[in-house]
Amino acid sequence: MRDTSTRRRERLVGLMTRGPYELWAVLFILVPLVFTAYYAFTDDSFAFTTENITKFFTATSVVEGSGTVHTYLLILWRSLKLAIISTVVCLLLGYPLAYIISRASPKAQKIMMTFIMIPMWMNFLIRTYAWMTILQDTGILNNLLNALGLGTVHIIGTETAVVIGMVYDYLPYMVMPIYSVMAKMDDRLLEAARDLGCSGSGVLRRVVLPLSMPGVINGITMVLIPSVSTFYISQKLGDGKFFLIGDAIEGQYTANNLHFAAAIAFILMVLLLAAMMLMRRLTNKKVYGGT
Amino acid sequence: MKLSSKIFTALMFVFLFAPIVIMLIFSFNASRSLSVFSGFSFKWYVELFNDGDTLASVKNTLILAVCASVIATTMGTAAAVGIDKLRNRYVRAALDVTTNIPMVNPDIITGISMMFMFVFVSQLFGFANSLNFGTLLIAHITFCLPYVILQVLPKLQQMDPALPEAAMDLGCTPWRAFWKAELPELMPGITTGLIMSFTLSLDDFVISYFTTGNGFQTLPIRIYNMTKKTVTPKMYALATITFFVILALLLLSNLADSEDSRRLRAARRAKRAARRAIRAAKRAEKAKMPMSARTRKLLYTCGGAAALIAVIVAVASLHDGDALVLNVYNWGEYISDGSEGSMDVIEEFEDWYEAEYGQKVKVNYTTFASNEDMYAKLASGAVSYDVIIPSDYMIARMIEEDMLLPLDFDNIPNYEYIGEDFRGLYYDPDNLYSVPYTYGIVGIIYDANVVDEEDTGSWDLMWNEKYAGQILQFNNSRDAFGTAMYSLGLDVNSTDTAVWDTALTELLSQRSLVKSYVMDEIYNMMESGEAAIAAYYAGDYFTMADAQADTVDLQFYYPERTNYFVDAMCIPSCCQNKELAEIFINYMLSQEAAIANAEYIWYASPNSLVYENEDYIDEMGQEAMEILYPEMESFSALYNQYAYRNLSDELLDYINTLWETLKIN
Repeated sequence: MRDTSTRRRERLVGLMTRGPYELWAVLFILVPLVFTAYYAFTDDSFAFTTENITKFFTATSVVEGSGTVHTYLLILWRSLKLAIISTVVCLLLGYPLAYIISRASPKAQKIMMTFIMIPMWMNFLIRTYAWMTILQDTGILNNLLNALGLGTVHIIGTETAVVIGMVYDYLPYMVMPIYSVMAKMDDRLLEAARDLGCSGSGVLRRVVLPLSMPGVINGITMVLIPSVSTFYISQKLGDGKFFLIGDAIEGQYTANNLHFAAAIAFILMVLLLAAMMLMRRLTNKKVYGGT
Repeated sequence: MKLSSKIFTALMFVFLFAPIVIMLIFSFNASRSLSVFSGFSFKWYVELFNDGDTLASVKNTLILAVCASVIATTMGTAAAVGIDKLRNRYVRAALDVTTNIPMVNPDIITGISMMFMFVFVSQLFGFANSLNFGTLLIAHITFCLPYVILQVLPKLQQMDPALPEAAMDLGCTPWRAFWKAELPELMPGITTGLIMSFTLSLDDFVISYFTTGNGFQTLPIRIYNMTKKTVTPKMYALATITFFVILALLLLSNLADSEDSRRLRAARRAKRAARRAIRAAKRAEKAKMPMSARTRKLLYTCGGAAALIAVIVAVASLHDGDALVLNVYNWGEYISDGSEGSMDVIEEFEDWYEAEYGQKVKVNYTTFASNEDMYAKLASGAVSYDVIIPSDYMIARMIEEDMLLPLDFDNIPNYEYIGEDFRGLYYDPDNLYSVPYTYGIVGIIYDANVVDEEDTGSWDLMWNEKYAGQILQFNNSRDAFGTAMYSLGLDVNSTDTAVWDTALTELLSQRSLVKSYVMDEIYNMMESGEAAIAAYYAGDYFTMADAQADTVDLQFYYPERTNYFVDAMCIPSCCQNKELAEIFINYMLSQEAAIANAEYIWYASPNSLVYENEDYIDEMGQEAMEILYPEMESFSALYNQYAYRNLSDELLDYINTLWETLKIN
């Protein structure tokens, strides 16, 4: 008797809590994906075809210096490369920053985290514009260097400029999840490790790093994804010379090739989803299965 | 903190705030430039507060962000609680994957796929105007949800499972146990989720772009659509104000947080806790309340929340009672909007209409970034516009596809002022569907301090190796290929792919000389001397020359063969109020409005009320008149020979492939 009523209550609680979200997720997350897949695997008259998918893997063009290349695989590779560089830089800068902040006084923590978020409340298109003003050959940075007698640097239009733009825009997304994990870390744990003979770097490697891993994974996801697909930053800071996968999708969409646009989107999505699942699985083992 | 940590932290904050300092400085710029500072002025702040459309888009953005983040946080928190209790491994794994999808999905994919769905559903049920605030809200909630869940779920997992049990042992109902014991523990996660949702919603433009319709434009979309005419320091002024508002809020909350008040509050909190304990004990008796009553209570709460949300949504999408609505879709920055003392054409039209017809009218004015974007929106069938202003070749395409309605010229008597030369052009040979709004010619802008006079005069300047690294090329395929084809004397509307291959070779040979492929970035680059040579639309040259740095001397000329374009007002077949749309078009042709628009946009006007008006000619000045209205035997002859025409889908696809080849080289 009691069992059934508990179970019924549990089911009711489940329905009340998860229910709306489950319905929402099916309607607005899964169904649109089905539409993307549907477009990806059909032609203009909505007859089944795998042509769009094959086109992605087989289309070639001639590039000076490297001969015939696979157009879309090259574009995908370049986008991934830039995104990975940006994510690594974000991690290298964001991780220590999150650590330093999490060890500060509560009040300082609050202030610093707010200041990390403030730039995000100003439109990112506008912020990217401001970076153009800074990085241009005749821009603020070069004027400053000139005044100091340090010569000039050419940044705008290079890979460096695009990476700076991405790191700038996405750094808060790396700091926030790492910080939120680190802030909860018990100071006594670190003391205990030190008391037990761990060196400073040992504490970092054996205690702080494993404990902060979930935050790191979240941070990587939140930085990697938008940097793979961005086209605005590369257009503005890359002198329009970086043609990334986001540009390819947008270009196909404007050329009214909805089905091929959907195919590129579909492939990219499958790839990213698989990568994320793999990463989560691997790190889960390390974090919980290790020691 | 160690010194090295301090230095590192300081450097990171310098990095994060450098662009904000730039915004702050340039928001006080006396000129329009975002890269050349020419004096201190408050004028962009004045402009901002006079710009009703921008302020309305700020309001829209805030309403959307508040609604989306509150709903997403409520639904997401509940979902996290449910997921945490879930024991079925498979359901849980499925939910985990689903929750991750919007996060690992690039926003352009989320946007497009949602648009596919909304369009499909609206066609299924025959909704006329299905892309609106509702779809935008749905999209925003959807991409915010995972962030909330992923913030709250770890907090649930970290929580001591004994906590709710203890509360229940003390006599709390499960609901109260959750409310009193669990929720406070979850609060940091919920708050972070809320703030993240709010922030993401505030900043999104890609997803919004695909899921919004006619009446509701957010700030990011508005800014993105300024790509033909460039962003002004007004936007920097807006960013600066945002910054100071946030800073003020921060200071206030810090003041409230000072030591004394904190101790006071601790005492108050203790008292409250004691009171709560007593109440909880009393509730213990009520714990025997029958299940149905408790459920009912829960339902009331949910119902109340839903009603509240409904009210917010209703208020947000409220129109002025029984006012007529006119939906206008135009290029960004392509109408006189009241800035710098100009006439606010939309507002004046609303006033004029009410005075003339005794009926209120509300104009929903939204913008697009390119003909192709506008076409995609209309072709989806999920939006409804009454007046659109596309370019010639797109008009040809839309006529061919039955997407435009023939105009009733009895309602547009001012059409008689359109110059003879601008009637019967190829895209609308019988003058049935369109009324010309502006026209223009592509020319070459150069910096006379860098470029030698003898090198100018033709397209060759853009291929001149002497100026390698100082040349700008269009960042859209049609215009970029156009420069190469005019230069080589090829037909820009050729259906022969070999001709396009030749043009590609020409563009590839130029690539190493090109500094940058640009659209609106051209303004910054030419004004500051970052680049010295660019092809662009004639009128925009004046905007650049107006804001150029002291070291720059911009000049302009037309090469022998070049692009002529016309943008014209049309009524799409989805129009809801055709007569009103025609009255609006007629109003746009009236002298006052037409001159205001011509002076604001700086493109040539086909309206004789404008180009024959003495005041207008004086106002523009001789140089401008000579460049905007060059002497020519017959505009229509040149136009029909050189203008872009609509190309077949196969050919557009082919050109797009060539364009990709150029861009990945």
